[in-house]
Amino acid sequence: MFRWSDLTIRQKHIAWAWAFLAVPVLFYAVIRFYPTGNAILISFQDWNLLGSREWAGLDNYVKLFNDPEFWHVFRNTFVYLLLGTPISLVLSFVIAYHLDKLRFMHGFLRMLYFLPFMTSAVAMAWVWRWFYQPVPIGLFNNFLASFGIPQINFLNSTTNALPSVLAPAVWAGLGFQIIIFMAGLRAIPKSYYEAAKIDGVGWWTVLWEITIPLLKPTIVFIVVFSSIGFLRIFDHVFNMTTNNPGGPLNSTKPLVLMIYESAFSSFDMGYAAAQTVVLFVVLLAVSLLQLRILRDN
Amino acid sequence: MANLILRDLVKTYDKTEVLHSINLEVEDGEFVVFVGPSGCGKSTTLRMIAGLEEITSGVIEIDGRVVNNLEPKDRDIAMVFQNYAIYPHMSVRKNIGFGLRSSNAPKPEKEKRIEEVATLLGMNDLLDRKPSQLSGGQRQRVAIGRAMVRDPAVFLFDEPLSNLDAQLRTQMRLEIKKLHQRVGSTIVFVTHDQVEAMTMADRIVIMKDGHIQQVGTPAEVYHAPANIFVATFIGAPAMNMIPGRVNGGGAVTLATGGTVQLGGALPEGRDIIIGIRPEDLLPGETPGVLRGEVNVREPLGHETLIYVGTSEGDVIAKADGRTPPEIGEVVSLGAHPDNIHVFDAATGEALA
Repeated sequence: MFRWSDLTIRQKHIAWAWAFLAVPVLFYAVIRFYPTGNAILISFQDWNLLGSREWAGLDNYVKLFNDPEFWHVFRNTFVYLLLGTPISLVLSFVIAYHLDKLRFMHGFLRMLYFLPFMTSAVAMAWVWRWFYQPVPIGLFNNFLASFGIPQINFLNSTTNALPSVLAPAVWAGLGFQIIIFMAGLRAIPKSYYEAAKIDGVGWWTVLWEITIPLLKPTIVFIVVFSSIGFLRIFDHVFNMTTNNPGGPLNSTKPLVLMIYESAFSSFDMGYAAAQTVVLFVVLLAVSLLQLRILRDN
Repeated sequence: MANLILRDLVKTYDKTEVLHSINLEVEDGEFVVFVGPSGCGKSTTLRMIAGLEEITSGVIEIDGRVVNNLEPKDRDIAMVFQNYAIYPHMSVRKNIGFGLRSSNAPKPEKEKRIEEVATLLGMNDLLDRKPSQLSGGQRQRVAIGRAMVRDPAVFLFDEPLSNLDAQLRTQMRLEIKKLHQRVGSTIVFVTHDQVEAMTMADRIVIMKDGHIQQVGTPAEVYHAPANIFVATFIGAPAMNMIPGRVNGGGAVTLATGGTVQLGGALPEGRDIIIGIRPEDLLPGETPGVLRGEVNVREPLGHETLIYVGTSEGDVIAKADGRTPPEIGEVVSLGAHPDNIHVFDAATGEALA
């Protein structure tokens, strides 16, 4: 007969561990792993959400490969990534680096930088939309006009729209990255800087040969984290271009928005699932690549 | 190499004065150890010499040059930190070479200098390793190497041995001392460990609460402590302190009525404290000072420390290692008059 007291200490530990893990594991299986598997399955099928699923083989992927809109959107997504990640990395580092040295109003300024991170993306996107309006409504254009500088078409130009949408997205993530960078900076022992001071090296050398190398784990974390964020960008784009999502002329449309439209406007679930699988593979590849490049020895 | 002079050195944080008029002259090539309990201002003094802390008032001179307003790099000093401050992402070679970064010497010359220092520290074959591949003692040596490579006028050590285990500490102590004998530079060494101070220093500076208590050779501070603080701080176990009052003719009456005859002219009627080191307080020695029952014995092999409960309180005395008194045995403890220190009860200062 099974008796609890017959178990070894190790077995009891394992039993308890599983007792506590059971709920999250079940949750993950139902909410995460099953839909993931199902999405991969659907990507090989045709389904309009109501009718029966029909096996389509690689049709969805072939269609995707031949769809010029997909390649356009794919390119947009990488523009978000390749602009957003370095810009937010450099900005947040520069701000954190100086904020760390500042004593005066330190807490207040840190709060100010962190605030956007806590703000709803929808609210923020709409405020920025207002910033971008033409004269006499928009803040930026009014400002330019007061100096006699010509109007800038922020959201209605195919060249300006993507950077205009990216700006609030970068701004929104900045607070979080600054906090992480500041924690990283604080973790570097003061004596490293004092030793450098006695050795008489300049601040540039200190920055490049001490601070940045020692921040590497922090940088890896922020790069991977923000890359995933920019590859999945959706809410800022959707809210700033609601009249014509992803417009003008698809110039701001990221992959997630295309997935959303395929699934819930065209009800082409198989096609949307195929795009999702591609996004998943891209995210995985980019993250692994970054980890490999940045995490030497 | 150079001498170092501190004149009326004061440090104030906000409105709190933490260092009160420190005066000290360190000779060229001298090994001076600052010792004291934590918060006594020894590290602050060192950091002020290094230029890492501002000087509130006073003068610091290195090699005859006032350095008050010079950047650390221009003071011709090098410092070894408690946590070594060696960069984990750089090889030993780069770490040692970091001290030469600001020098204009040609590269081959710098390389040669790094090799020389490595040879001196016996770590040539470790030059291409990363600090994570080194033991604690080796890291310590890298930190010293980085200081040596600059060939500074004054070496500053900020509690460099406190992160090492006891055995390694003893070994590094010896190595630093040998190094000093070989290169002969001026060294200022900060520690809270009185054994380190005694074993390494040419002269010891004992500090407490931002004041220098005594400056002297290890023998001086041990055998002629300037006050009660120095007497109890230096030496382990600490000196026994017994209150009393001076009677006529050099006789001292203890609080509970016992009498000790001391030589020398002591002012009559003065309240004093007599101090006797445990190794000077022996059973059966004359003149007898105290009597009491042995409470605890600590055998150390060559000797046994006995804790004796006397009418004046518990005292520690030294007994023979082979045949110490039994626990519960009543012993009479005495000390040679030369080994009895006398302090003023009010000021704590030593009376001649």
